[in-house]
Amino acid sequence: MSSRHNGPLVAREEQKLVEGLLAGNEDAVRALYARFARPIFTLGFRLLGSPEAAEELTQDVFLTAWRKAARFDASRGRLSTWLMTIAHNLAVDRLRRETGVTRPRLVLVDELPEAPSADEEEPLMERDAAIRALESLSDAERRLLARAYFGGLTAREIAEADGIPLGTIKTRLRTALIKVRRANQDKERP
Amino acid sequence: MSCVEIREQLPEFAVGVLPEPERVAVERHLQWCAGCRKEASDLGAAVATFAYTLEPAPVPRGLGDRIVSRIRQAAGAPGTSRRTRASAALAIAAMVTVAALGWGSAMAGRADRFADQAAAAEARREDAFQRFARMLRDWVPIAQLPPDETHMGQLAPTAGHLGGGAVLQLVSPTTLDFTIVIVNGLAKDPAQMPYRVTLQNAAGDTLRVGRISGLDSAGGADVFRQFEDQDLTGYTTALVTNASGEVVLSGTVDQSAGP
Repeated sequence: MSSRHNGPLVAREEQKLVEGLLAGNEDAVRALYARFARPIFTLGFRLLGSPEAAEELTQDVFLTAWRKAARFDASRGRLSTWLMTIAHNLAVDRLRRETGVTRPRLVLVDELPEAPSADEEEPLMERDAAIRALESLSDAERRLLARAYFGGLTAREIAEADGIPLGTIKTRLRTALIKVRRANQDKERP
Repeated sequence: MSCVEIREQLPEFAVGVLPEPERVAVERHLQWCAGCRKEASDLGAAVATFAYTLEPAPVPRGLGDRIVSRIRQAAGAPGTSRRTRASAALAIAAMVTVAALGWGSAMAGRADRFADQAAAAEARREDAFQRFARMLRDWVPIAQLPPDETHMGQLAPTAGHLGGGAVLQLVSPTTLDFTIVIVNGLAKDPAQMPYRVTLQNAAGDTLRVGRISGLDSAGGADVFRQFEDQDLTGYTTALVTNASGEVVLSGTVDQSAGP
């Protein structure tokens, strides 16, 4: 099984890779790893706070993807979205179990996403596209998303901390996500 | 909750910070509402975009090989070891045996004729459920079993048959799903055996859990199966059939709630 390492996969290629994963095909696993291990590991490292935990999470993400592979439908969503959602959910679950609380207490990363460095050897096209999509957001919207996604703060906690009505925070969160979604859709249009 | 209320929760759900009670309610709603599921999918895609913007961290050398090894092992590739799974299965099987000691007395209430006795039997049955769940959480070595991923149901006899039982399922995004079925009071007639235990979903798809070739003195037996490549979501109907294919026990697992 082969797949291009660079450039976005089309739905048919994604479905084929996941079918290979389900069958335990080594080439398919390595192709998926080449594309997605780094962003998954990065997310795990940022959320869980150690390379050891990030490695364990990365392994668990691929194993979970194998378990759930039969449910993946490329016509309903991107493979990257599916894998990153698994990664985030597993990280949140792990933190929830370790801390015994009913909501995640994530490692706070008090910084905003950065632009990629020019000398990065293998810039991921997904990352470039993601950063372009986030350019549609204001700094306040990016910070709000970061506080929720990386900081693990609920809308209520953000609202209380900032002295802003809960409904306003929820609306802003939704607006920010819709802006990113639209930017992604514009990017995918020919 | 209505679709309007659900959609109000979806941004927090997509970001992964929706508190537990609301999260469970949203997940239940998404199981049947295609419109909200589409909305959740779109918001999830936007959130994944955000994750991709992080400055990449260096991935440890050899991680790819370790992942390939784990998946090949999980997929049952030739020459791989299943020791981890076997250990988990053995531990659970041992635990089920212990749990069944209390279960036998709990199920003995099926023959009670009087209301107070029935109530007492129900109390014992409920106690058995709770003990069962506690033991699972304490003993299963593969992970702690979160209550919202552990589901139970009772098996009742169909017309003309005897017995009863219980079903426990783990339906988890992080560990292998499994089903434990405990029966009691089944007819020991050799013509009825072996009994077969299966799960069905709404579409009529059937999964084999196991077969019962022998019963203890109380007509009881335990069946356990860990599903290595099968998601048990939706497989909520549990059936015990006899050698003639007649359903002798049936029940429904409530996958929308924990024990």
